[in-house]
Amino acid sequence: MKASFEGSVMRSAAWLFALAPLLSGGVFAQEGGESQGGGEGEASSSGDEAKDEGDWFAVVGGDVHTGTGAVLRGATVLARGGVIREIGHEVDIPADAKLLDATGLRVYPGLVALNVRGVANRFGSGDYADSFDPYSQNLVLALAAGITTVSEGSVALKLKRREVKGVVMRERFLSTLNYSTSAPRSKGELEQKFDAAAAYLRRYREWEEQKKSNKDLKEPPARGVDPSIRAILENRTLARFNSTSRTDLLGIARLAQKHKFRPVVEGAVEAWTVADELGRAGAYAVVVPRTRRDKSEELVRAGGSSIENAAILHRSGVQVAIQASSTFVDLGGIAGRDILHLPIEAGFAVRGGLPEQAALDGITIVPARILGVDHRVGSLEVGKDCDLILLDGDLLHYQSLVQYTVVDGKLVYEKDKELYYAHIRPRPVAQAADAPQARRDKGEDAASASDSDGDGEGKPEDKPEEKPEEKPEEKPEEKPGDGASDGDSDGRAD
Amino acid sequence: MVSASSRELRGGAVARTSLLAVALATLTAAACTASGPRSQRSAHAASPQSRGEIRALEEGEQGFAIVVGKVLTADEHDQVFEPGLVVVRDRSIDYVGPLVEVPSGYERLDAPELFAAPGMIDLHSHVQSGGWGDLNDMVISLNPEFRSSPTLVPGNESVRRACAGGVTTLFGIPGSGTNNGGFGVLYKTRCESTYDGCVLADPGGMKVAQAYNPERGADLGATRAGMAWNLARANEIALAANRDGRDDFALRNLQKVHSKELPLLIHTAGPACHTTIDMWGERYPVRAVLSHGCFNGWRFSPYAAQVGMPMNLGPRTFDWFSSREGQVIGTPQRYEQAGAALISVNTDAPVMPQEELALQGAMGARLGASSYLMLKACTYNPAKSFGIEDKVGSLSPGRHADIVLWRGDPLDPRARVERVWIEGRLEYDRARDGQRF
Amino acid sequence: MLLRTFFSSLLPAALAASALAAPADLLAIRVGRAETVSHGAIEHAVILIEDGRIVTIGADLPVERGIPVIERPEWTVMPGLVLPYSRLGLDGSAGSEFAPDVSPAPEVLPRLSDYRDALELGITTIGLYPPGNGVPGQAIAIRPKGDTLEEMLIKEGAYLKVYFRADARSKKMIKDAWAKVDDYDDKVKKAKEKWTKDQEKSKSSKKPAEGEKKDEEKSDKPAEKASDSGKGAAKSFVPPPPDDKVRPFLRVRDGKLLPLVSISQSADWAHWLDAIGERKFDFALRVVMQRELDLYYVLEEVAKRKCTLVMEPEITYQVATMRQRNLPAEFASAGNRIVLIPRGEELDAHASWRVDVGDLVKNGLERKSALDALTLAGAAVMGLEKDYGSLEKGKVANLLFLDGDPFEPATKVMAVMLDGEFVHGEVRQ
Repeated sequence: MKASFEGSVMRSAAWLFALAPLLSGGVFAQEGGESQGGGEGEASSSGDEAKDEGDWFAVVGGDVHTGTGAVLRGATVLARGGVIREIGHEVDIPADAKLLDATGLRVYPGLVALNVRGVANRFGSGDYADSFDPYSQNLVLALAAGITTVSEGSVALKLKRREVKGVVMRERFLSTLNYSTSAPRSKGELEQKFDAAAAYLRRYREWEEQKKSNKDLKEPPARGVDPSIRAILENRTLARFNSTSRTDLLGIARLAQKHKFRPVVEGAVEAWTVADELGRAGAYAVVVPRTRRDKSEELVRAGGSSIENAAILHRSGVQVAIQASSTFVDLGGIAGRDILHLPIEAGFAVRGGLPEQAALDGITIVPARILGVDHRVGSLEVGKDCDLILLDGDLLHYQSLVQYTVVDGKLVYEKDKELYYAHIRPRPVAQAADAPQARRDKGEDAASASDSDGDGEGKPEDKPEEKPEEKPEEKPEEKPGDGASDGDSDGRAD
Repeated sequence: MVSASSRELRGGAVARTSLLAVALATLTAAACTASGPRSQRSAHAASPQSRGEIRALEEGEQGFAIVVGKVLTADEHDQVFEPGLVVVRDRSIDYVGPLVEVPSGYERLDAPELFAAPGMIDLHSHVQSGGWGDLNDMVISLNPEFRSSPTLVPGNESVRRACAGGVTTLFGIPGSGTNNGGFGVLYKTRCESTYDGCVLADPGGMKVAQAYNPERGADLGATRAGMAWNLARANEIALAANRDGRDDFALRNLQKVHSKELPLLIHTAGPACHTTIDMWGERYPVRAVLSHGCFNGWRFSPYAAQVGMPMNLGPRTFDWFSSREGQVIGTPQRYEQAGAALISVNTDAPVMPQEELALQGAMGARLGASSYLMLKACTYNPAKSFGIEDKVGSLSPGRHADIVLWRGDPLDPRARVERVWIEGRLEYDRARDGQRF
Repeated sequence: MLLRTFFSSLLPAALAASALAAPADLLAIRVGRAETVSHGAIEHAVILIEDGRIVTIGADLPVERGIPVIERPEWTVMPGLVLPYSRLGLDGSAGSEFAPDVSPAPEVLPRLSDYRDALELGITTIGLYPPGNGVPGQAIAIRPKGDTLEEMLIKEGAYLKVYFRADARSKKMIKDAWAKVDDYDDKVKKAKEKWTKDQEKSKSSKKPAEGEKKDEEKSDKPAEKASDSGKGAAKSFVPPPPDDKVRPFLRVRDGKLLPLVSISQSADWAHWLDAIGERKFDFALRVVMQRELDLYYVLEEVAKRKCTLVMEPEITYQVATMRQRNLPAEFASAGNRIVLIPRGEELDAHASWRVDVGDLVKNGLERKSALDALTLAGAAVMGLEKDYGSLEKGKVANLLFLDGDPFEPATKVMAVMLDGEFVHGEVRQ
């Protein structure tokens, strides 16, 4: 997991991730020059279109946390037309590429936030493609919080700035079902629908088989079969349940196991008590780590909320997506609970025992899978959209702030140039985004410019000592300790 | 109780930690030691007391020693020991400092992967009865005769979770529905306890509300002018009683505020911060702590600094709307920048969950305040603001053994609390009790 | 000329006497300063007027003997103000419809005091737009004087009003409008093919008619009746007439009608561009001023499109802040042409119009842009820049005489000339 992938570009088959969430290292192939992405069934659609055209963009010299388990120190991410073309150390950067100096910064995939409200448009209308506000304050703040993809309503959206084309990535990807012991009738009906759809699909498959020998055989009638249930069973859409109680979650897990579909359980407060069953069902869980619910008085067994929910689910093989306590951008003054603090929420899952990599997955690739857009976003891989964020420290550390956000290979947020957070720990001017620009401008020819970037290669060798990669159980260097040498606080303490 | 916890100690974190964790712990400890200047500096600053030899336990005394990767004493000298040793005898801390020989008889806990810090203190809390407590009577606007202590339910769910979040002392207070809600109670978050077993001071201090809630419809106090007059009148009567040596049943505690026996916490915010500092910092110089101070109250931070009024900030830790500067303004940062005397943070629980006090500090640090100040804002500073720093809020010999073992930086949401002792008693042990937060 | 008689009958004798009595209808006016708008300021300017138009303008021009001269060295003259976006004197209302062929002309009541008041403030040309959202119709340009609509009317179809917001409804309306244009083009194309075929058929039977104009089909004027190729009498192809709802957009496509698109935020702009797609046509923007306006995001993009913006002289705030923005100035310095209109419908807003613009000048708006914004730019939006909006040879003599700088609050209107006649103020020779 900690292996270095210097000098090679990683690729991974998206299906493999879907099947093996724990295999966070993924599968890496040697860089294949032009053939990247081509051989993969799930290659980015936008990648196919924009493959050989569009502007070049390179993020140079950062510690690249690909989200696939690898960390490449002092590496370059090169994109064209908004799609990642190469990740590695020996990357030839075209002369006309826009450069972003990531020296001293960490590069992560853009975050994916589920079930947000009021980010994609100001008025909360459901009509996202036609009313997406690419200039809205909430949008910029979401980008400042590192979020580049959201689901709002039944739509998965790319948070483009200053653009409205192509913001809707996917629509109606989830089928929301109601399955609750408090509504036994609809619960029973749902079970019947699944049985009916499953029976129909069996007949259909039989017919398909028999048709080979007997062409006159009539297709079995689909009457009475719920199309959304059929779509779920055919794995075309995911079934979403909003369930908090142990009993309901258990029922959902059993239903899913019986009919072999993967449920998405949201709420999932007591999921930790039935984690094994959910794991066997291949479930996705969307959890708010800090959700608090006291155990029901009538419940004899374990129940209520647990800070360990995400960790226990993860250990049981459930793919855990992390959602913030509040689904809004909250500018009222309460910090740490809204979507602007998604990594903080993920931090609470780590507190409950979730490994840090899984916590990162929970705000990137897992929600991307739930939205069915993991072939485009959720990790930094060749062929995927160049949506990435640059931070001045560990993403999960409470003092790390997003310095730059890139969406589709375009710089869409720069902390020091926007009012919102510019005044907080401004970065030294030399490291601002102008630096690479200036450097390139000075370079007489393109070759020398890209060479000079190549020279940055020395840095990775120096770096690892300075910044050892945190292991899940290990904490970053404690900042309060730093303050002990803080003269100011000394004087005031008495 | 004590022996039980001692037993737990022995079988504690080290024994239960997996091999991997031990390996990591060693790494962490090494890293801590390696980050030189701080530890050296703190070693120099070690007070004579903490350097003293540890006395052997006498007959009938209980004691234990904790060896951790780092001790954040949060005391007046800002000492940090990496690694460090904390020795507890009975209910108090006996020694804090570098590793030294511990006489036999002390239970010993080795947790080099953990950090020890003082139990945190929240001066603005309403969870004494669990959830939303009795807030205000809402009949008359001044209730200096009221106390929150009768509403106290020791060891309620909120309190238990608070303990698991490293919060050990709370000032449980009336609400801000009336100008003077009465007197709050200072108590410990002991999980199972009686009133006597958990109360630190009753009354612990007075609660006043000056804006953004106590404004009353048709009654006296619909305006800030009315409220100011109302409060001033009560103050004058109490002062007169003090001068005359009278004991007024209804004003007895208010008299104590004016004789500076009891502190005062004032709910105020925005421009009303000015009114508050002027009234309670200058015209009636009592032991006042300004609480909330949010919205654009930070504009008066230079005034607060000039008067030297302690600031208890939260639950809002930033301002956006009121200032209309287009900036996300971290309020603790602004007060820090202005040189405000003692900055502490609060949760106003249950507005923010009581157990998330450390997060309030973290958010202050995220938005520009120094992270060490924010640690102090959860520990020493609130204690000092209320004049109870000789008992709680720091790890220092002679003070209450309210100790929290963190897996990392106490402000980091990822850092879980492993153990909490309150006055030497193990109140929360994640391994034993399950993780409550 | 109709106008001449109309004016002479109307004007108070005292006012009209000097000017109208002059031989050969020539009149010279000598003033301290002329703000020509098109060619900067001229000190000691002389303007020669004949038949309601400016014959010439220059510094210290000699005036032929016999030509009456009005000497006002303490005055400043500028073009009459052009207010292209107004509902002055109109009170109709409408919903949100697609009605691009509607005109507000039927709403106009001549001889309303509103028009006289406007004229006395120096407003000599007004664009009146139809009410309603959606695509409510086309504006008309009028002079604020006359007994009948015909006397007032300068131009029909001055611009096409479009109300656009970032929502599905607005976008659909625009997309549908252009889809109808495409349908019509298809229809014309098919009709043309059929006609050609028929011609060939008849060619084989009869002698073909010669000298057909190939480009007839591009004519803006639709045929009075549909071509009936069956009769073979048609000498040239006559395209089928477009629908009333299509015709305005054909004119837009051909650059003959300017859409004035109302937006209120940057998102509207982004979705407007998305809605029109690759189509190339000119349009202007009507910016709905609000206290907080986020249009600073699109200054350059708008400039790239060379859009004129119609907006009020307002200082706005950056969203969610107390940071003031002089957006008209920002748009102007980004290279956009701006039209500034009174801040409200009431007379006071019209009275303070110049001074409100002056406030923007004091806050960074270039004086040149500000003068243009009051006159020539507004005329251009209505397609009247050839005849109105500046002091140039050959232009209509709509003049505003002031006793000082146009942007100073103390400056008063001394006289107003409309179509070469003094219509306000006391003028003695």
